[in-house]
Amino acid sequence: MTNSAIIALAAAIAIAISTLGPAIGQGLTAKAAMESIARQPDAAKDIRSTLIISLALMEALTIYGLLIAFMLIGKI
Amino acid sequence: MGEKSEVIIKLFGILDVTGEVVAMWIILGVLALVSLIVKLNLKERPGKFQNIVETGVEYLDNFFTDILGKKKARKYFTFLASLFVFIIFSNYSGMIPGVGLTDYVKAPTASLSVTAGLGVLTFLFLQISGLRHNVKHYFKRFVMPMFFMLPLLVLDEFIKPASLALRLYGNIFGEEMVTEELYHIFPIGAPVVMMALSVLFCALQAMVFTMLVSIYLEEVTED
Repeated sequence: MTNSAIIALAAAIAIAISTLGPAIGQGLTAKAAMESIARQPDAAKDIRSTLIISLALMEALTIYGLLIAFMLIGKI
Repeated sequence: MGEKSEVIIKLFGILDVTGEVVAMWIILGVLALVSLIVKLNLKERPGKFQNIVETGVEYLDNFFTDILGKKKARKYFTFLASLFVFIIFSNYSGMIPGVGLTDYVKAPTASLSVTAGLGVLTFLFLQISGLRHNVKHYFKRFVMPMFFMLPLLVLDEFIKPASLALRLYGNIFGEEMVTEELYHIFPIGAPVVMMALSVLFCALQAMVFTMLVSIYLEEVTED
């Protein structure tokens, strides 16, 4: 394989793996939040804001992977 | 990281004015103009325009009061609200047709330099407001559970603004790149999907940024 092919593969793997983990985490978080909203609709407002924060914090991990992928693509 | 910005004008020979800076000037001008118009036409019985602005300010007030409590939300409202308004306008400025196509006007938050600047600003804001609130509590926080946590907690203070900056930059820049890639795949229709999503994400990112800053502020100025 040539160097640029390896870099392209690395970029693909970087974004793929860094999407996997946070996606599972976000799914679990959303599930838990929805269950608790269904159980206690009064607390929906508090739960929603906490949910958004935790989703954003997890989203950041994916974004780091995306940035690395862009950096790698720039090197081809 | 990312591509280099083209320098349009060199102000006084040393200050590089790029497309992002021009866009920020335009945003600041528009914001200043709108606030001036609203302020000069303040009425007991609000008109249409004043109603819109009042709804926005009330929403922000409630938003910060939920996190910080009434007293602190009022005290730090100016900084937090201007941060929110500036970020949301910068995010949406990338969706105006033509912005980003030329070197002269670019969406500011799609550049790491701008978001890193915002990160430095929030870092200074958090440290100064923490010190001004209670010096003893400020230093006690670093050794709070156990003494050996000190290096980690000091590092944490620097990681917070860095992650804020990277999150905002990555989201907006990533959105733009994905839209561009979709445009290359199929020019008519395909980018609309991502642009519709980014209408939502732009507001969400501004909200997340200010929400995290106010949560960090709540941590720093705890009683």
